[in-house]
Amino acid sequence: MRVSESAIGEDAGTGSVIDPNGIELRLPARLEHLPIIRSVAANLAIRADFDLDSIADLKLAVDEACSTVITRAVRGATLSCVFIVNPDEIRFSAVAPSTGGHEPSSDSFGWRVLTTLTDHVAAWVEQGEVTRDGKGLLVHIELTKRKTSGA
Amino acid sequence: MTGAGTSRASSPWREDSSSSEYEHLAPLFDELAATSEDDPRRAELRDQLVTGHLPLAEHIAIRFSHRGVPREDLVQVATVGLINAVDRFEPDRGSDFLSFAVPTIMGEVRRHFRDASWSMRVPRRLKELNLAISAASGELAQRLGRAPTPSEIARHLDLSLEEVYEGLEAGNAYHSVSLDEALSADSDSDPLADTLGEEDAGLEGVENHESLRPLIEQLPERERQILKLRFFLNMTQTQIAERVGISQMHVSRLLARTLEQLRAGLLDTPRDDEPR
Repeated sequence: MRVSESAIGEDAGTGSVIDPNGIELRLPARLEHLPIIRSVAANLAIRADFDLDSIADLKLAVDEACSTVITRAVRGATLSCVFIVNPDEIRFSAVAPSTGGHEPSSDSFGWRVLTTLTDHVAAWVEQGEVTRDGKGLLVHIELTKRKTSGA
Repeated sequence: MTGAGTSRASSPWREDSSSSEYEHLAPLFDELAATSEDDPRRAELRDQLVTGHLPLAEHIAIRFSHRGVPREDLVQVATVGLINAVDRFEPDRGSDFLSFAVPTIMGEVRRHFRDASWSMRVPRRLKELNLAISAASGELAQRLGRAPTPSEIARHLDLSLEEVYEGLEAGNAYHSVSLDEALSADSDSDPLADTLGEEDAGLEGVENHESLRPLIEQLPERERQILKLRFFLNMTQTQIAERVGISQMHVSRLLARTLEQLRAGLLDTPRDDEPR
C-alpha cells in the first residue's frame, strides 16, 4: 500500500482518514497531551513486532516531532497526527497551524535527535486555508521508522 | 542530622551498624525462640527486638531516600521489613541477625519502589510481566546481538503475543527514572568513568550550541553519557544498556526524560530563527 507524500499532509490537515492502514489523532496542540500520542506510537510499533530499540526510538521521535510542532503552533490550535502502519515501516506525520513561516531548522539539536532516531524525516511550512489570524500557515513534520532487518 | 545521616547511609551499613551496636540484643533471639507461642513474654521480646534494631531500618531507608518517595514512607516500609525479619529469623540456623535482616529489609524497600513507581494502578500481574520481559530482553539481546522483537520475547518466555503486548504496554505506565535506579541491583558503581571528549565536537554545527552546552553540562554524568552515546556516537539503546549496565527500558526512560529537560531548557532561551 503506497501513499503519496502529499496525501498524508493534506488529509492530516482536513481530518479525514485517508488510508486503510492509517490512524489519525486530533487533539489540542498542548504539550500535556504528548503521553497520549507517545503511547499510541508505542502500541502500534509493539503490535507491528518492531524490535524494542525501534519501538523506543519511534516513541522518542514522535515525542520530539510533536513537541516541535506544538511549540510552533498557534495558541488554541488543533494538532493532527497520522500514523500509517505498513508491514515494514511506520510513517508518522504531525501538523498544526503555525505562528511562523520558518520550518524547524535542520541545524538544531532537535533535528539531530529526529534524524538519529528515524530513517526519514522532513519538515516544512505551507500555506493552508487562510484562517481568522489571516495567515493560515501549517507546520508539518513527517517521519518514517523502518523495521530493522534481521528482526 | 541530615549530614551525618547521608554520609552514614552512603557507606556500607554492614560495617557502620556493626554487630557491637546490636550485640546486646542477640540473646533476646535465643530467648524468643525458646518462648512458647502463647507466652505473653513473646510480644514483649518481639517489641524489644524491633525497637532495638530500628536504627538499622532507618539507615536502609535513608540510603534509598531522594528518589521520589518520602523518607517517612521508606522508614515505615523498612520497619515492616524489619518486623518480618525479626519474625522469620531462626537463631539456631547459625547466621547472625544482621546478615539476615539487611537483605530482608532491602527487599521490602525495593518491592515498595517497584509498586510506587507505576504511575497508574497497574495490576501486579502486569508489573511482574513487564519485569520478566525486561529481563528476557536483556538475555535475548546478548544472544542475538540486537534488541529482540515482541514475538521473540513471547517465544522465549513461552507467553502469548497478547501477554507480551500487555506487559510492554504496562511499561508505558511506569515513569519514574529515579525509582529505576533504586531497583537496579547496585547503582553506586560507575562504569562510565571513560569520559569521552567528543561532546563538543558533536555539538559543532548545531545552531543552538551555546544554549545547549550548559544544559548538557548540567545533566547528571550518566544521562550525559547516554545522550552522547545515542545521539553523537549513534549507539542503539540496547548497546548503551549493555555498556552502562542497566536495562534497555531504563535507558529508554532516561533518554525520554533527558530530551524533555533539554527541550524545556531550550524553550527558555530565545530562538533566532523565528520572530517571536
